[in-house]
Amino acid sequence: MSNVLINKVVKSYGRLEVVHGIDLDIAPQEFVVLVGPSGCGKSTTLRMIAGLEEITDGTISIDDRVVNRVAPKDRDVAMVFQNYALYPHLNVADNIAFGLRIRKESKEHIAESVKEVGEILGLTPYLDRRPANLSGGQRQRVAMGRAIVRRPKVFLFDEPLSNLDAKLRTQMRAEIKRLHKRLGATSVYVTHDQVEAMTLADRIVVMNGGIIEQIGTPMELFMNPANTFVAGFIGSPPMNQLRGNVHKTADGTKVKVHDVLFDLPGSLAVEEGQEVVVGVRPEHMALTASADSFEIPISLDLVEPLGSEALLHASIGEEPIIIKAETHGDIAHLSGVSKVYAPASLVKVFDAKTGLAINEQASS
Amino acid sequence: MSDTQDKQHGHVVETTKRKRSVKHKLTWLYDHVRNEWQIYLMLLPTVVWMILFLYKPMYGLQIAFKDYSIFRGVAASPWVGWEHFQTLFDNDQFIRAIGNTIKISALNLIFGFPAPIILALMFNEVLHAVYKRTAQTIVYLPHFISTVIIAGIVTTAFSPTAGVVNTIMGWFGLDSIYFLTRPEWFRPIFVGTGIWQEAGFGSIVFLAAIAGVNPSLYESAVVDGASRWQMMWKITIPSILPTIIIMLIIRIGNIMEVSFELIILLYQPATWSTADVVNTFVYRQGLQSGQYDVAAAAGLFNAVVAFVLVMTANTLSRRYSRTSLW
Ligand SMILES: Nc1ncnc2c1ncn2[C@@H]1O[C@H](COP(=O)(O)OP(=O)(O)OP(=O)(O)O)[C@@H](O)[C@H]1O
Ligand SMILES: [Mg+2]
Repeated sequence: MSNVLINKVVKSYGRLEVVHGIDLDIAPQEFVVLVGPSGCGKSTTLRMIAGLEEITDGTISIDDRVVNRVAPKDRDVAMVFQNYALYPHLNVADNIAFGLRIRKESKEHIAESVKEVGEILGLTPYLDRRPANLSGGQRQRVAMGRAIVRRPKVFLFDEPLSNLDAKLRTQMRAEIKRLHKRLGATSVYVTHDQVEAMTLADRIVVMNGGIIEQIGTPMELFMNPANTFVAGFIGSPPMNQLRGNVHKTADGTKVKVHDVLFDLPGSLAVEEGQEVVVGVRPEHMALTASADSFEIPISLDLVEPLGSEALLHASIGEEPIIIKAETHGDIAHLSGVSKVYAPASLVKVFDAKTGLAINEQASS
Repeated sequence: MSDTQDKQHGHVVETTKRKRSVKHKLTWLYDHVRNEWQIYLMLLPTVVWMILFLYKPMYGLQIAFKDYSIFRGVAASPWVGWEHFQTLFDNDQFIRAIGNTIKISALNLIFGFPAPIILALMFNEVLHAVYKRTAQTIVYLPHFISTVIIAGIVTTAFSPTAGVVNTIMGWFGLDSIYFLTRPEWFRPIFVGTGIWQEAGFGSIVFLAAIAGVNPSLYESAVVDGASRWQMMWKITIPSILPTIIIMLIIRIGNIMEVSFELIILLYQPATWSTADVVNTFVYRQGLQSGQYDVAAAAGLFNAVVAFVLVMTANTLSRRYSRTSLW
């Protein structure tokens, strides 16, 4: 299996630059997910790896070979498209065999590979059907089959699940993960669904406006977002972001949001009066106090039950805040909530101007 | 007795049911027309045109079975049954015209039908946008020239003295040929002219079909390693096959309708042996010799053959390729 190295890659369409020099090092067998809002350049990046778009500047290497000038077919990559790109006039077996036929593989090898892939993906009963007579999930599987039958070095997926309904998406997500475990191929997966990103990725690359905001494991991104964009993008609902000012008190450094003082973790490089954004995840707040938690008075607006949990929509002054609370099978007790507790260690602080996370100084 | 009553009773029930459903349908139609009157208004001119120029003339078709004279009128002329058809099929000229029609149509189908498809596929491979647009415009142009002028151009081009063709042949030391008086040259010239005039314009339909092919099919094939040639054969052509079949059915329906204006403008008694088709025969019989009834019989024959052909083509296509006009 192989590695993919993206080095200062720029993509422009005419005068319009849409990818502004990104760097990414993908290890062999790694499953990397590119996420970001619509139009941030995920597909463009993926298509540059595939060779479907020219690279304006910088280099992409696969297996330590620069592929900028290498034709797609010689890069040994396979791509799964959002709309599946199945040939409507060919049946499932012929669709899967297409890439092998193009490469003039032997008949026996093709038949064997199609059979094997059909078994892996549970497509055996459908091999002689046309795509028009398949369900969305089955088509998706055929599209995957077309990719894996070639045993490429790198798999590229461009929002492969976005045309499926929620239930099927969850199912296929698990299947893709299983498949990756089984084949162990280096994979680059594009989605704008952060749940998909969290569940599938070894590492997530958060993109925004043609740049990379942060690269990290799902948990790194969840616990330590590098900036307010990532904080707002990862997690569902996303991290609460409350504007406030730094207050140095005898009790330690705090942030005043409206008239509530937030405790901060450790020693942060902040100045008195500095405008900051404090970030608290909805799931990190609780209705009961614990060892290092501090109290946050809220005015409750709305309770949204989700089943075992409920979302409390509330505010501190003008600042909206969402809290995820356990229901224990009943939401009646949630309607009277007027204060919640957050552990200081899980509070994040971002510079209000740059949006960058302000991290704890190494204690000296 | 009771049995008949029952039957009658049943019949009454049937009719009331039918009446009710007819009434229901009329109400539905009324509501529909009232709600969507703009659409019906747009439809109206076509309907009027069809009634006036397609359905009303059908009334006159009966003269194919009558001894028609202008003075007696259509209704008063006496019936003569199949006499005119008898006359036609006893006429060597008519038999020859059928043969010529079929031969010209066959040539048209073999050479004229694939031409716009090939042209469209070629345009599709042209990457340079300006060059492509210019080339397209040039091949579309002949379509917009009136048939009379086309005939003039052809006559001039193939003229024995000053014609381009003979001039070029002269450079190679070939004797000049008076093409338009030679029966053996009529069909190639006629079919070639048709291709020159219509292939470009006809390619628009196929270009539109090609434009409708999902681009990610090509991208996927590129990643799979397909060459442009392979993509044309394995993606483009199969994808536009339904369009090709529909156009073929339409073409077969028009097989008896060789563009006879051009024939009339190009043929002369010397080339009748290969150029005279059913429609030109009808024209000479009807309008020039005043035998309207015989001409109507020939025209009706033409129409029936065309009808049978298009039905057959449609049925075959539906059965074997799951594509059909209706
Ligand atoms: N052929 C093109 N010409 C000009 N601009 C383009 C072209 N293709 C894409 N873009 C622009 O490049 C930017 C990135 O597009 P891209 O398709 O990579 O977005 P994306 O992150 O995949 O979004 P989505 O989630 O909607 O698929 C967009 O702003 C888009 O408008
Ligand atoms: Mg995209």
